[in-house]
Amino acid sequence: MQDKYTDDLLEVNELKMHFPIRGGIFQRQVGKVFAVDGISLGVGKGKTLGLVGESGCGKTTVGRCILRLYEPTGGRVIFEGKNLLGMDRRNLRAVRRNLQMIFQDPFESLNSRHVIANIIEEPFIVHRMGTPRQRRKWVYKLLERVGLARDAALRFPHEFSGGQRQRIGIARAIALNPKLIVCDEPVSALDVSIQSQVLNLLLELQQDMELSYLFIAHDLSVVKHISDTIAVMYLGRIVEQAPADDLYEMALHPYTQALIAAIPIADPSRKRDKKPLSGDVPSPINPPQGCHFHPRCPFVIDLCRQKEPFLKVKPENGGSDHWVACHRAGKI
Amino acid sequence: MKLNTLTIKKLRRFYSIKRGYYAFIFLGLLILLSFAAELVVNSRALIVKYQGKYYFPTYTDMIAGETFGLDYAYETNYRELKANFERKNDGNWVLMPPAPYNAFENDLRSDSAPALPPSWSQRHFLGTDTSGRDVLARLVYGFRIAIFFSFTLIVSTYVVGIGIGCAMGYFGGGFDILFQRLIEIWSNVPIIYVVIIISSIVVPNFWWLIIIMVCFGWMGITWVMRTITYKEKARDYVLAARALGASNVRIIFLHIIPNTISVIVTYVPFSFSSGIVALTALDYLGFGLPPPTPSWGELIQQAWTNFSAWWLGASVITAMVLTLVAVTFIGEAVREAFDPKLHTVYE
Repeated sequence: MQDKYTDDLLEVNELKMHFPIRGGIFQRQVGKVFAVDGISLGVGKGKTLGLVGESGCGKTTVGRCILRLYEPTGGRVIFEGKNLLGMDRRNLRAVRRNLQMIFQDPFESLNSRHVIANIIEEPFIVHRMGTPRQRRKWVYKLLERVGLARDAALRFPHEFSGGQRQRIGIARAIALNPKLIVCDEPVSALDVSIQSQVLNLLLELQQDMELSYLFIAHDLSVVKHISDTIAVMYLGRIVEQAPADDLYEMALHPYTQALIAAIPIADPSRKRDKKPLSGDVPSPINPPQGCHFHPRCPFVIDLCRQKEPFLKVKPENGGSDHWVACHRAGKI
Repeated sequence: MKLNTLTIKKLRRFYSIKRGYYAFIFLGLLILLSFAAELVVNSRALIVKYQGKYYFPTYTDMIAGETFGLDYAYETNYRELKANFERKNDGNWVLMPPAPYNAFENDLRSDSAPALPPSWSQRHFLGTDTSGRDVLARLVYGFRIAIFFSFTLIVSTYVVGIGIGCAMGYFGGGFDILFQRLIEIWSNVPIIYVVIIISSIVVPNFWWLIIIMVCFGWMGITWVMRTITYKEKARDYVLAARALGASNVRIIFLHIIPNTISVIVTYVPFSFSSGIVALTALDYLGFGLPPPTPSWGELIQQAWTNFSAWWLGASVITAMVLTLVAVTFIGEAVREAFDPKLHTVYE
């Protein structure tokens, strides 16, 4: 597992984010939320890694930890060969030129007090690039690039629709010509009709600018459209990771199988052959023993309750890049 | 600079609350008038025409009596000059302001003792106080000082309070806890005793009072700022700024504070009236601005000791009530117009 992704642009190694729970008069730590509990990922140059999971499984936290918006409690985040964790502010600021983020809620991620021109100009100001006149020119170029009119520049965010706002968020993220963008559910707050437009814009940008994406989503059908590799997360851990087509054709983990079975198919005559998952994601404050998924797993055996399964490659399934964390993988 | 359409919406709402809007116009006019008080209430003439030349003494250095053919070198008494010119009737004239007295001169007469009741003919429209000073002049100039005092106080307490409150909310952790406890202790210092102690050492002038009041009054707004900052800093637009690599200073001043303005604004009118009340109370107790500074508190004290001079109490209490009610109406309207629940997409 250690050396799996060393050639990649971004390599995440055993990342842990345990949020402390404080209580009492002295605000002592009384517990932990195991939001992310030892995750390893790799994103290759120009590639897209899709990270999927239910809400509350820690996928957003992974994205924020990679950008050091949260301070992870353990692990390594290696971007272009440098570990971002423990890096000082000045070096980190330089790295941020190449590492950007697109946020989920376009109504929240743009400061409602600033006009669009100021919002898109901010990356250049923060990184001290260009003269005001040059910056204005770049802003217009970026607006054009994401498919907005020039007169958008002097308007405020609330004058735009969700899709347009997300385009503004994308313009801000690509302003500095980054190499990797963490897309934190960039389309899940949008109308279905707008989603594909924004996804296509992201794909276009990826081709033009050789971008890599870490694409976080809770919707497998969205991720399928855009990803090269897909990682499935459950309660702070990755349960399965495989090239996109592989994952769809032969999902090995019962959780992935359930997710795929839940994708709606536009064919009313087709009968469902799998039951939907029952129950809820357990609390990350007190995750279950053994395999985190065992309370909901239809194929659970005693081993699952006692021993935690590790991510292992499954060569017997043809591809050498299919990883799964299940004791019964391949047997179900 | 284009106004945010949300801001315009809030201003429209404020305009639609008529009571607050008219109170705002009323108080605004009073404040503007008080800035030009020298043109309305003043012992100096507006225009003097003497031997074909015009003089405008209002804002100039003092003009000696000799200039106008009088036999003294100190400042001209324009009221006497006017009477003089009118007697001689040789083409010279003086135009006095409507109320021809300033706030400091003692208009003592041989036939009566102050305080004199209101008199139209003597142009003491609100009478004189116990030392023969014109009450209207003292009200107007006292108002101007109180307004200026209150305004300076708000700006300075808000600069300190918003700065510290924002830092508490933004940095959180130990810094926050330390300052919370410090503020709790500091809030328990009784300000009036501090003022009494300090005024036994120095005669507190305007700036002394401001400094004392800021030192012991900046805590109020910190709690509000701390809470909103906690809320704002967790929002995605702040995360986006951090992801870009923006500095803490930039995030606080360009991102968080502009988003808290609507909350701060609702506190301003109430701070304003409390500033006026604080100065008046200190002056009333005799620990405020040194005499003979015109002040409402000092007038109230005179009224308290001279019940028979009813015009003292009547004028200052009327003025005080009008001002404070106007400020309160404005405050209510602002709070209503800036209510975030009416404007956010959420909730």
